Amino acid sequence: MPLTSSFREPTILENIINFAGMLGLIAVIVLVIILVFKMEKIKELQAQLAKLKRAFDELDGQAKLIVQTDLELHRAQEELDKKVAGLVTLQKLTRLISTTLDEEEIFKKLEEKHITELGFDRAIAFSKDDTNVFRVRISIGYTMEEAYNILKELLNHPLILDKVLDKNKVFSSIDTDKAGKEIPDLIKLLDISSFVCAPMMKKDGAIGALILGCESPYTHLTEGDKDLVYILATQIGQALENAKLFEETWRSHQELEAKIQQRTKELSAALEEIKIISKRKSDFISAVSHELRTPLTSIKGYASILALGKLGELPPEAKERVEKINKHSDNLSQLINNLLDISRIESGRVELKLESLNLKTLTDGLTDMLAPAMKEKSIEFLVDLPPGSPLVKGDKTQIERVFINLVGNAIKFVPTSGRITIKAKTLDPETIQVSVSDNGIGIPEKDLAKLGEEFFRIDNDVNAKVKGTGLGLSLVKSIIAAHKGKLTISSLPGKGSTFSFTLPKA
Amino acid sequence: MSTFVGIGVSEKKDPFLAASEAAKLALYQLHHREITFGVLFSTAHFADKRLLEGITYSVGNIKLLGCSGASLISSYGVSKYGVGVMLINSDKIRFGLAASSPINTKGPRAAGEEFAHEALKNLGTTQRDLALILSDGLVENGSDLLRGIKDVVGSSFPIFGGSSADNLRFFKTYQYFNNELLTNSLIGAIFSGENLFGMGVRHGWKPLGKPHAITEVKGNVIKKIEGKPAVSIYEEYFGKTREEIKNTLIRVSIYYPLGLYVPGESEYLLRNALRIDEDGGLVCQGDASEGSDVRLMMGTKDWALEAATQAAQEAKDALHDRAIKGAIIFESISRHKLLGRLTEKELSRIKEVLGDVPILGICTYGEQAPLKSLEHYGQTYFHNETVAILTIGESHAANKLV
Repeated sequence: MPLTSSFREPTILENIINFAGMLGLIAVIVLVIILVFKMEKIKELQAQLAKLKRAFDELDGQAKLIVQTDLELHRAQEELDKKVAGLVTLQKLTRLISTTLDEEEIFKKLEEKHITELGFDRAIAFSKDDTNVFRVRISIGYTMEEAYNILKELLNHPLILDKVLDKNKVFSSIDTDKAGKEIPDLIKLLDISSFVCAPMMKKDGAIGALILGCESPYTHLTEGDKDLVYILATQIGQALENAKLFEETWRSHQELEAKIQQRTKELSAALEEIKIISKRKSDFISAVSHELRTPLTSIKGYASILALGKLGELPPEAKERVEKINKHSDNLSQLINNLLDISRIESGRVELKLESLNLKTLTDGLTDMLAPAMKEKSIEFLVDLPPGSPLVKGDKTQIERVFINLVGNAIKFVPTSGRITIKAKTLDPETIQVSVSDNGIGIPEKDLAKLGEEFFRIDNDVNAKVKGTGLGLSLVKSIIAAHKGKLTISSLPGKGSTFSFTLPKA
Repeated sequence: MSTFVGIGVSEKKDPFLAASEAAKLALYQLHHREITFGVLFSTAHFADKRLLEGITYSVGNIKLLGCSGASLISSYGVSKYGVGVMLINSDKIRFGLAASSPINTKGPRAAGEEFAHEALKNLGTTQRDLALILSDGLVENGSDLLRGIKDVVGSSFPIFGGSSADNLRFFKTYQYFNNELLTNSLIGAIFSGENLFGMGVRHGWKPLGKPHAITEVKGNVIKKIEGKPAVSIYEEYFGKTREEIKNTLIRVSIYYPLGLYVPGESEYLLRNALRIDEDGGLVCQGDASEGSDVRLMMGTKDWALEAATQAAQEAKDALHDRAIKGAIIFESISRHKLLGRLTEKELSRIKEVLGDVPILGICTYGEQAPLKSLEHYGQTYFHNETVAILTIGESHAANKLV
């Protein structure tokens, strides 16, 4: 059997199968290669994913950090906001309280809206009244009955008695140093979640306390709240102190005012009485003078008839007596006329005929009238008027009487060869002052004030020798006063006197 | 005819005197026109029967809705103490008022349903445009209240409202319904006719850290996040123990609420945690859904102010060409905590957009407003930490006259 017969040409099918096998092998190899590559890729992606997850977790961790920091910031911000809002309200309240000086009103100023603005819900305040008994002053969130029941308990509470009223300290529900059941007791009593209690202080210590409380369990009090309530309570205490001082001052002022009014009333009554008496006196003098003048005129008339010898010549002794009667009647008549004039002027019954008077003309007339008397005592008479002859407004007759009286007095009291001076000067645009000076014996200081009083005569040698009524200066005073002027007297004993009076300018 | 709005604010101590003064001032601004509808807001201090007697004394028996809040907002400023009244005159507004209480015995959803039925009955027409609601802010599942209303009026019906508040005591909140002082209630009105209202709602909070999946939910309680008790999210982020978190939860959750991602919306839906349940779950005011992502959110003053501008702009744009006659604001108490002394600035931002119009608002424990995006078909959600603005527009008839 030929060898070649054992080798058979592969059929087409076998060739296809062989080729496919080859291809399959190649494909497997390729797939294996791809798989190896893919595995590498997956590994790489897994690594990247793990990396991303880690970054994501890290970011989440950072977010946690941000949140925790942010929470702290919120807390600080909230505290700050609360403090600022509290201070604004406190400032508003301080202004309201400090402008009030009534104790009751001070407490009324603290209203529910202010308590809310300060971040609290309820308030209770108590203090001693005038009788030293504690009274509820503020009650917000409680009825008065509730507030008094609370007050009764508070006044037995060791924290209120010891810490607030005795040691003047502030405390709140956030104080942890008091671990006892005292703070929980207060929370229960006040029916709130948290509170601050501060003393209301006057100069001599606490007079009561102010308690502000929060209802919400989610409100967190801080040290800042304690400060705020403490300041408010102190402000109230100070306002109460001011109110007390004001009341005391006001009361003493009222007392003083009442005293002044009483005195004024008494003085007015006395003045009225004096006026009545003075009027009665003037009326009396006037009536008496009139009554005296009529018989005096008769006496004078008959004395004149007798003296002139119309009824036959009188013996010399009788004539001398009759002339004396006549002379004394003249004096008496002069006295009565002066008295009548004073009473008329004082009672306003004399109507002044005001006109422009030239001082120069007046003094010239005076010189003529009094020249003989002055010549008799060799008196030097000086008239010193400002240039341009000043004009005054007055009643000519009355002003002449003023001059006659003043210069007449001066003549009486200056020694022989003495000096009398009349001066005038402008005091202000509406007033002229005229003065009559002499270098006479002067007036003792003790008599100066009495000078001008009716019937007053200075006790001196001249007056002892020269008779007078003591009415001249009184008349001068009345005339000057009727001209709305003022009479002033200055004198130095032994050196002389000056009588000055003012008159309105014409 | 036209729409007229007047407001009045008072800080008088006595609730009767305060309400009476605020109402008189509002009536004066309304030029003594007939009162169609009134809104009364007050801080918790004034929540008393005498408050409503003061309103009746000044303006008689009027249709009135209102509630207590933590702060009063008005054109004149923001105050922690006061009473505000808004009086509206419009011959275009038709409405049905309703109240449902007590929520806690009826259950929020049933209360919502009862309210909606009653309001529709009182409205007396099939045409309806908006529900304005005020509810007790202490109700734990606010979303359920909304669900009850939606069961009756339809899920895409716009509902706008606020949850009444007290002075952060979380003790008792009040609702004012005509001349009644209520608690634990849902009150409100369904309006019909020419739609005079525009709405805007924003918060400005932004997500922080990585998303976490909610793995178990029971109503308004987020039980588990990523298989762990939900409170762990706060424990981890703040580095504190559960006990520490428990004592500060409300405060922490005001600054750092949980954010639920809402597809199509630019902002997350925020949830404040009220308390921790026995399993470590977080009890929220609104609900959440299982499987969705939750983020820890963070706010800044600038973002919050910017959000106020955006909300005002949204509410203004919603009125299209109508002039704004007034606005009602529901502002979350959380924003006041965050903004501190800048709360007045937020109000100025709103006024910059709305102009010099009568504004009255209140600080709430929650807000209700629809989401705008198409994916939500205008559905109303329960919100936290937002400023929700309702603008009252001029009627078309008046515009045509102009």
